[in-house]
Amino acid sequence: MTIKVQKEDVDIGALISAAKTPETGAVVVFDGIVRDDDITEMELEAYDEVAVAEMEKIAKAATEQFHLLHVDIIHRIGRLTVGENILIIVVSAGHRPEAYAGSRYIIEELKKSVPVWKKELTKDGGRWVPGEHGHGAGKPGSAL
Amino acid sequence: MRSRDCKNQHYGDEEMKAKIRFFARFRELLGTDIITDPLAGTTLAALVSNIARNNKEGYDAIFDEHGNFREFVILMQNGKRVETADAGTIMVADGDEIAIFPPVAGG
Repeated sequence: MTIKVQKEDVDIGALISAAKTPETGAVVVFDGIVRDDDITEMELEAYDEVAVAEMEKIAKAATEQFHLLHVDIIHRIGRLTVGENILIIVVSAGHRPEAYAGSRYIIEELKKSVPVWKKELTKDGGRWVPGEHGHGAGKPGSAL
Repeated sequence: MRSRDCKNQHYGDEEMKAKIRFFARFRELLGTDIITDPLAGTTLAALVSNIARNNKEGYDAIFDEHGNFREFVILMQNGKRVETADAGTIMVADGDEIAIFPPVAGG
């Protein structure tokens, strides 16, 4: 299992190879990419230590819930251009329903709770991407 | 940057160190990795409020007109989530890392 926040890009092929076990029947890869929403670049920032701890919690929960055989979550930070990888999730499972469901669970939970922020840089300046789930009134000890 | 502005919350003479980390828009307005030396008895809310007062736009981004944390603000003490409503009663401890940030938007 590889859970990281890093600036460097990822060798997705190598992750897929490493995710295969003798029991693997399906590997699902989620690759989140910088989309051209009339931006020049995207700047990503993380609360690294907490982000990794939170991603580890999500990976463990997904592994238990969906009987996954292998999970990698790599979130990139720094300045990225259109077409670059932002987030790679690789899951391996015995069958495709678990692999798809596990992958979906991980990305949805990550968007709720992992402290990462994105700023879209444009010709006129920049704009922070609003969070989909956030507010400060949640219970401590819940997802974040 | 150092702050000794927490004397209103002073319940003793013990001096401590705490680190404040702002992220995303809050970081742009207020900086980050700010080492403070609050006095014993300083609450999380008082500590953050005193630091945020260094920049009006930064303060207004985090606190409403009544001085309460805005509803969307997320607060952590040593990597653990703290309800902002409780920040006025939780004391800062020596060596604490306090993080303040807007809703997350990764993925």
